[in-house]
Amino acid sequence: MLVDQGLEIGDTLSDGCLTVLLVSERTRYSLRIKAEDLTAFNLESGLGLPERIGQSSLTEARMQLCLGPDEWLIVTQPDLDKGLGAQLKRLSDSFIFSFTDISHRNIALTVQGSEAVAAINIGCPLDLSPEHFPVGKVTRTVFENAPIMLLRTGEDVFHLECWRSYGPYVTGLFARYAKDIEMS
Amino acid sequence: MFLIHCPYCDEDRPEIEFSYAGEAHIARPQNADAISDAEWSEYLFIRENKRGIHCERWWHTNGCNRFFNAVRNTVTDKFIMTYEMGEPRPTPEEIEAARDDD
Ligand SMILES: [Zn+2]
Repeated sequence: MLVDQGLEIGDTLSDGCLTVLLVSERTRYSLRIKAEDLTAFNLESGLGLPERIGQSSLTEARMQLCLGPDEWLIVTQPDLDKGLGAQLKRLSDSFIFSFTDISHRNIALTVQGSEAVAAINIGCPLDLSPEHFPVGKVTRTVFENAPIMLLRTGEDVFHLECWRSYGPYVTGLFARYAKDIEMS
Repeated sequence: MFLIHCPYCDEDRPEIEFSYAGEAHIARPQNADAISDAEWSEYLFIRENKRGIHCERWWHTNGCNRFFNAVRNTVTDKFIMTYEMGEPRPTPEEIEAARDDD
């Protein structure tokens, strides 16, 4: 079962068409700043926050995701990306913004493989064709009854986050779907 | 699938991501302590409940998390236009121009 870092859901995923991994713990910050301050904020901070809803800037250590007109989620690898809090604290003299540690609100899954789109679409009504949902696109949406955040990191690779309490529900749906594939 | 255009995301998105939030352009009285209970209850409870073209608030709950306004035909359930919060109510001419035969 999906209880530990890097474990696959169940044992139903032998042929590699669908793999669902629980991502190891990340540090998450919610950043809210007025859209009209963004350019100056980016200049001063050097963060390079994406400017449009749905855009992301991705490095190995950090994901910067624009979720709303004045809202960003920053997801970092705790051991690779330190000091963001201190850096932003310095900027609070020059800008009005909120910066909140919400690390433990979410869990993240990596959903990958040739069946990844089909598996996500069992519960998510978005058009995930590459024209409408290209690599790098991010959005909040729904997966069955759970609110999720979905980011495409590769042609067949998605980073999916949900509230921690929805974790067993969301992973359970993927596990059931994986069983269906295997039986068909 | 029923799609709604979110003016902030600038995309047609599935209706299941949205929540309805009542009639639009209802301003809260600025003189709440001076007006009568009847006037206050009018503000709180009385709505047009229109049959036809209706301005209403929607909330992109599971998306950008923004409220916006929409013009919808309550007979056909067709969305005629959506627009950002703070923009004025579209004129009848603007609504008519945006309408296709619904
Ligand atoms: Zn939206």
